[in-house]
Amino acid sequence: MDEGYQAGVVFAALTPSDKLRDAAVALKKLGFFVETMTGFEYTDTQEVVYHFNCFLEPKSRLALRVLCGEGMGVPSLADLFAGAIWLEREVHEFFGIAFDGAPDLRRLLLPEDADYYPLKKTFGTVQAFRKRDEIYG
Amino acid sequence: MGNEVGTSWIRLIIGLLIVIGFSQINALFLVWLERKVAGHIQLRPGPKEVGPFGLLQTIVDGIKLIGKELITPLAADRKLFVLAPVLIFMPVLVGFLVLPFGPQLILRDMNIGVILVFAFSTFSVLAILAGGWAANNKYALLGAVRSVAQNVAYEIPLLLTVMSVVLMTNSLRFSEIVAAQGKVWFIFLQPVACLLYLICATAETNRAPFDIPEAESELVAGFHTEYSGMRFGLFFLAEYTNMFIVCAVATSLFFGGWYGPFGFDLGLPGVVWFLLKTYLLLFVIMWVRWTFPRIRFDQLMNFSWKVMIPLSLVNLIITAAVLKFV
Amino acid sequence: MAEKFPQPVVDQIYTLNLGPQHPSTHGVLRVLLDLDGEIIIKADPVIGYGHRGHEKMGENRLYKQFMPNTSRMDYLSGMIFNHGYCLAVEKLANIEVPERARYIRVICSELNRISSHLLWFGTYVMDLGGFTPFLYAFDDREQILDILDRVSGSRLTYSYCRFGGVTADIDYEFVDQTRAFLKRLRSRWPDYHNLVTKNVIFIHRTRDVGVISPQLAQEYGVTGPSLRAAGIPFDMRKIEPYEVYDRFDFEIPVGTKGDALDRYYVRMEEMEQSCRIIEQALDGLPKGPFINDEVPSSLKPPKGEVYFAFESARGQTGYYLVSDGSKYPYRCHIRVPSFGNLNVLTEVLRGTLVADAISILGSVDVVIPEIDR
Repeated sequence: MDEGYQAGVVFAALTPSDKLRDAAVALKKLGFFVETMTGFEYTDTQEVVYHFNCFLEPKSRLALRVLCGEGMGVPSLADLFAGAIWLEREVHEFFGIAFDGAPDLRRLLLPEDADYYPLKKTFGTVQAFRKRDEIYG
Repeated sequence: MGNEVGTSWIRLIIGLLIVIGFSQINALFLVWLERKVAGHIQLRPGPKEVGPFGLLQTIVDGIKLIGKELITPLAADRKLFVLAPVLIFMPVLVGFLVLPFGPQLILRDMNIGVILVFAFSTFSVLAILAGGWAANNKYALLGAVRSVAQNVAYEIPLLLTVMSVVLMTNSLRFSEIVAAQGKVWFIFLQPVACLLYLICATAETNRAPFDIPEAESELVAGFHTEYSGMRFGLFFLAEYTNMFIVCAVATSLFFGGWYGPFGFDLGLPGVVWFLLKTYLLLFVIMWVRWTFPRIRFDQLMNFSWKVMIPLSLVNLIITAAVLKFV
Repeated sequence: MAEKFPQPVVDQIYTLNLGPQHPSTHGVLRVLLDLDGEIIIKADPVIGYGHRGHEKMGENRLYKQFMPNTSRMDYLSGMIFNHGYCLAVEKLANIEVPERARYIRVICSELNRISSHLLWFGTYVMDLGGFTPFLYAFDDREQILDILDRVSGSRLTYSYCRFGGVTADIDYEFVDQTRAFLKRLRSRWPDYHNLVTKNVIFIHRTRDVGVISPQLAQEYGVTGPSLRAAGIPFDMRKIEPYEVYDRFDFEIPVGTKGDALDRYYVRMEEMEQSCRIIEQALDGLPKGPFINDEVPSSLKPPKGEVYFAFESARGQTGYYLVSDGSKYPYRCHIRVPSFGNLNVLTEVLRGTLVADAISILGSVDVVIPEIDR
């Protein structure tokens, strides 16, 4: 918990990927919306961070972090939050993270025939490529 | 007998030449006027570099358009594509034959003058349809189809309002209609009809706020999307000539033609009054264009069928009743 | 040969491409429409024509080198994006900002917001067919651009804010010009309202068109004036006040139905509220330094992350910066409001006419380069 709201989130939790959908269902009932989804690339694992926010309560942003490695997919939230389809498309095309059950994983921002994943740290110029513990340890 | 026929033929030919010349100059002048009016409404001066007050701007633009390559899309219907701009420009010129420019200045004072003008101006609908279809372009087709629906819908109240005036004068001749307005213009007797006529006229000539067929922001350029060079120029000029004819008819029917207000001539010849009033109406139409946004297509059709036609019918019935019993 | 004229059969669905080159799409947007006659059955926006890789660049630039990138994402609220980035980094690195700099940044951000809304106003009415308000709005916008040009050096994409303050101080002429501009803008409201707001044709084009309900907004993550028009008073300046916004007295305009007309009212009212903020800020402008001199040139924030959300002209924007202790960010993600606002159109455009599609696209006010990043 981050009471001081220093990092911009009130609550950040590392969620195992199978609990993600239950958490999302609960949050949707409480009136939260998916603010954004981000991907991360580390030497040992990949990660997807979901930020949820609520319209009516001030300062109620939560972050759910899901680790996913090579071959491990993340369940898709597309049927709960319709706006998540585009976010998942974006994270998928930049990081190569697979979303199970996503109805549509076409390229969103990149050209349709792109077969590279630009934001991976193995692509292009990279300044730092670390293990997850070095940042969040 | 031979002399009269001979002089009337000469009169006809000279008149035709004057009319054709006048219509061309008039179209060029109107383009300049539109750009100036638009400019001043939009807080900018409009064309001012070429010639005094930018008067030669249109001619220079015309020369530029003539010099452009005439592109025909590959899959277009060639014959119709080439025919459409011609078809839209020529019939409008016929309307000039019957306009009452002055007491003696009508080229051919036909006794079906009013009907002639409207019959020939309806040709423009055919031309728009031909142009839009022949271009083999979805945007152009959408524009053409919309234009046909709009023109048909607004033709009816247009003719009904004109009928109200014709009922009052019992004649379809322009000279008689204008002569009947010597003391009092018909706008004071038929204000509703005049307003309806002006709205329908704006819709018939595809001017804003009824310019959906050529809606620039929605369909790129509507039915003349695929036309380039002078073909596009012809569409453009035809629109302005059509506007002039429609305003001239309004002047003759409602604003007293060649008479001054309430019979006061102020010494000016009739033709000057006629042109003054026509250009004033044109200015109002241009003013309206730059003020209002565009009506959506279904609202436009609703407005015509549910508001304009009933109103013009009621106007006609009231006119008939008043004439019968008063 | 010309194609066969389509028969009036319901199954005749054809695809129209509201292409990347179109006078009405704001930025390079392509919408694939499946049309039945004039009614839209399916709308599929295709974006990415303006993808420049800002997030990848964010990982390869020093913190201060990323500043120009921020204002080029949403070029209409360049100053606001700048401001937000500075605030995010200052929060991450615990940098103090002097009071005068805070006020200056708020004034410039609000001026930017007014200029963005003026441009939206002009282009929206132009999309609907009324060409004149466009020029009036741009005439007013010129004044703002001149004021900001004088103080920052650029007219559209600013890099005026620095970590710890601003680049250059403002002088008396800035204050005088801004006050004169506010007076002039306020005298224009009656003109705009007479010309557009009370115009019957405009009201018919926008009433009950493109309704975004609060439920739809929650599903898609819609923020900004589109959300406020639906009735939810969600504005970052009030929900999570940053800088000195909590010292000013202003309101959040809220609509009722969520149609295009409400969005229009909300934005016009927001311009007036921004004028109030600027006035109060100018009245209370403190003296003092305009930048914190102790900020190192190549900043090395401590390890950690920050998600900073603020209100840009289009809605809630967020910077998500993750630092690993070195000069370069480890991850720089920008949450843009137009992403959700455009996404919701796949739902809203269904069942409307093509002419309404233009009206809806214009009223939701998307700027495609910020989606494409």
